[in-house]
Formats: sequence, C-alpha cells, structure tokens
Amino acid sequence: MKNYIKLFNFELGRFLKFYLILIAITIVSQITGVIVSSRSYLSDANEFIYVNQGSMESFLEQYGQMSMHNITRTLWFLGPIALCVVTLLIYIFFIWYRDWFGKNTFIYRLLMLPTARMNVYLAKASTIFLMVLGLISLQLVLIPIEGTILQSMVPVDFRLDMSIQEVIGSFDYFGILVPYSFTQFIIHYGIGFMAVFIVFTAILFERSFRLKGIVLGIVYIAISVVIFISPLLVDAFLVPNYFYAIELFVMEIVVGLLVIAGSIWMSNYLLNRKIRI
Amino acid sequence: MIEVKEITKKFGLKQVLKGVSFTANKGEITCLIGINGVGKTTIMNAIMNLTPINSGEILIDGEKLRKESYEKITFIPDAITMLPQMTIGDAMQFMKDFYKSWNQKRAAELLSFFKLKEDERISNLSKGNTAKVNLLLGLGLDVDYLLMDEPFSGIDIFSREQIADVFTSHLVEDRGVIITTHEINDIEHLIDKVVILDNGVVVKSFNAEGVRENEGKSVVDVMREVYKQ
Repeated sequence: MKNYIKLFNFELGRFLKFYLILIAITIVSQITGVIVSSRSYLSDANEFIYVNQGSMESFLEQYGQMSMHNITRTLWFLGPIALCVVTLLIYIFFIWYRDWFGKNTFIYRLLMLPTARMNVYLAKASTIFLMVLGLISLQLVLIPIEGTILQSMVPVDFRLDMSIQEVIGSFDYFGILVPYSFTQFIIHYGIGFMAVFIVFTAILFERSFRLKGIVLGIVYIAISVVIFISPLLVDAFLVPNYFYAIELFVMEIVVGLLVIAGSIWMSNYLLNRKIRI
Repeated sequence: MIEVKEITKKFGLKQVLKGVSFTANKGEITCLIGINGVGKTTIMNAIMNLTPINSGEILIDGEKLRKESYEKITFIPDAITMLPQMTIGDAMQFMKDFYKSWNQKRAAELLSFFKLKEDERISNLSKGNTAKVNLLLGLGLDVDYLLMDEPFSGIDIFSREQIADVFTSHLVEDRGVIITTHEINDIEHLIDKVVILDNGVVVKSFNAEGVRENEGKSVVDVMREVYKQ
C-alpha cells in the first residue's frame, strides 16, 4: 500500500505541470468567455435601447435574457473542456508509452521496483481517475463563480439566474461530464473508469506481444464491450422487455464490475508473465 | 548463485536463445561475450523478468524471481532508467524511497568517486556520466547480484577507466556480477568467468584465470578461436 501511494504521488507529479496548465486555460478561457459574452450582450442592449431607441421589453423579446445557458454554448466555455477531454484521452495511452520510448527507458525502473507490478498499473489508473475528477470538480466550482461574474456585469432585469443543476441540465453533452444525479454519476463514471481499465489492458497486450498484441488488444476490447452490453442485448433480442429497468441497471453494474475485475486480473497476468521491454 | 537453465526465447519466427545454460556465483565477475544480436541483452532481461522466456528456468539462490528479489539483484541496462527531467539527487531519492537496500552512504561515496553533482539534470549528462549514474544507482543498492549490459558502450576512455576501477574496489566486493560486452579489453583482467555466446547457444564457458595460466591465452584469443570456427 505504501509503495502504491508513493507511485501514485510520483505519477501525479509527472503530469502536474501540464495539469495545472489545463486548469489555468480552463479558468482563464471560461471567465474570459463570461466577460466577453456579457459585454457583447450589454453592447447589443445599449445599441438597441440608447442608439436605436428601442424598449427594454422589445430587446428582451428579440435577444432573450442573458444567462449561463448562453455562456455554455460558446467556444470560450466548451473549448477548454474539449481540450481537457482530448488531453486526458491521449494521456491514457501516453502514461504507458512514454515509459518505453525515448532514450531514458523508465519502464526498466518501474518493473524492477521491489513491489507488486500491479501497483504501477493501479497508480497510473488512479492518476487518470483523480485528474478526471479534479477537472470535473473545478468545473463545478467555476460555474457558480462564472454565474457571480455574470450577475455583477449584467443588470438583474436583463439576466436569468440559473442554479448549477439548471446550467448542467441545459446542455445535454455537459450532463455527461457533470452527472445530474448519483445514479448518473455511477453510470457515466463507472463506464468511463471501466473503459480506462480495458484500454490499459489492451495497451499491455500490445506491449507484451507487439504487433500480435494490437490484434489481441482490439479483440479484448470487443469482448469486454460485448460482455458489458450483454444484459441489454439479452433484453433487446432474446427476451424482449422481460426485465425491469432497475433489474437491467443492477445487471449492468454487476457485469461492469466483472469486466473491471477481468481487466485487472488480465493486466496483472500480463505485467508479471508476458510484459517485454 | 544465479542459475540459468536451458532457456529458450523466440521473437516471432526468430529463435534468439536455443537452450542457454550457465551459472554465475556470488563474489565472481561473469562475462557474457558475443557479437551483436546473439541474445546477451535478452538473457539479462529474462533474468530480471523483463522479457518472458519460452522454456527453461532461471533461479536466484535457488528461487524463482519474486518482487522481493529486486532488493538483492539489480540490472543496469545501457540506457538510463530514470526520467530525463530528474536531477541525480532526485534519482537517488527515488531509489531511497522505494528500496530498503538503498545505501545512501555508499551512493554518496560513488557520487564523489565519479565527481558527479547531485543537482545535475540527467538529460544534460554526457554518455560517460550517464553510464556512471547508472552504475551509481546500481551499486548504491546493497544487492548480492549486479547485472550490467554493455557498461562501456560508446563512452570515453577516462570514463571507462573510472568504471573499470570500481570493479577492483570494495564497492563490488563479494557481489556476483554478470556483464555483457563485446568490448572485452577494458575488463579482461577483472573477469573470473567467461560465457561465449553464438547463434543463441553457449559455445564455450571457461574460467578466465585458468585459461590465462594453463593455456597462456587471453579471453580475446579464445573468443577469436571460437568465432573463427
């Protein structure tokens, strides 16, 4: 356990600089987005009311009230989220491959540590999970701050104040990243973390068997996906609408846990018996 | 004692090792010699469980390698095993954090012996100094066995001499060392046992001192004879 924590801390440290840059980009871009969007809205309002002599009511009728709903659709807001998602997706692969390539082959050291090799795997997985959850938490903290900035810039008659839930609920894709309920959290992040374990195992297949491993990795991913959706397939094709939604949900959780356990077991086997430098 | 028993290894269709067997004792320097591509590094990796073998067995003091074994056997590959952004001090701290057998006093002694500085970044080191840091990180551990892959490869003559000096010092005393090299001249006088590999098999294994005294031949002479056949 002590070595796992040390490795986890070490892995976090290796990505910390980039991670802080991602956080900084997200904060700066989203807050800039709030300021730019609010100023643009106010500028439109000024022009409409003072230059064109329009009424406030007709402006609001034409432009609508300013809210976080408008902000979450801007590139300022979505751009850094997309950047974080893409970076972390790439990092799932990079976290392994960087140790093999280059002239400093750190994988030698990692595999020769006097600790279970599984600790290396779990430390890398935990790093990904913590970074994902960290960015989500950042977003949850940022939304009310951005709301406050919006409130300070746009007069109350021109804006619609929204709670975090309303902001999240107003945009479908955002709801995937920031679940609306605990059940959704379990589903979205359970699937996400399971996918990380499966991809890690596929990477270890490739690192163990090289070219042949790519095929094995793809087959492994396909099998895992089929196993995971098997309750849904059974419900759709073998016994249509036989199960209640809650039964399917429980079955998915059990199958998901089995897939994760299978991935961890397979990775442990590959790391101890098949891995190659 | 490290016992390598009839190990075989195939990479795709290529049979790299075809039943290699040898032993390496504690307190002795065993040298695996062979031209490039005969499987020397593969043997080292196999001993450290860094590459799986197809058949055969490798025992360290009568036991198969376990995670705890890395406290008593270490491997120094010809590439540095630390991150380029680390300083030498960071690398030493890393070793101290993870290995109970890390001997800080000896590491400090080696640091001064090699005239290295703790705050030097690994990415800025010359090839010679990289080899020295590799050696420092290996010898800084209180291990019984030390495996070294091509320690003299591509480094300047002064660094070679310094590294060769380590082998005659108390820093290596009582340890079992396995070295792979095709540049035998620098360490010929230090070697106790020689294992010559060719085409995936051990073609000759002998006691270096015995050959020198009884046959009046150097290791290089024997090597020439083997490869001429």
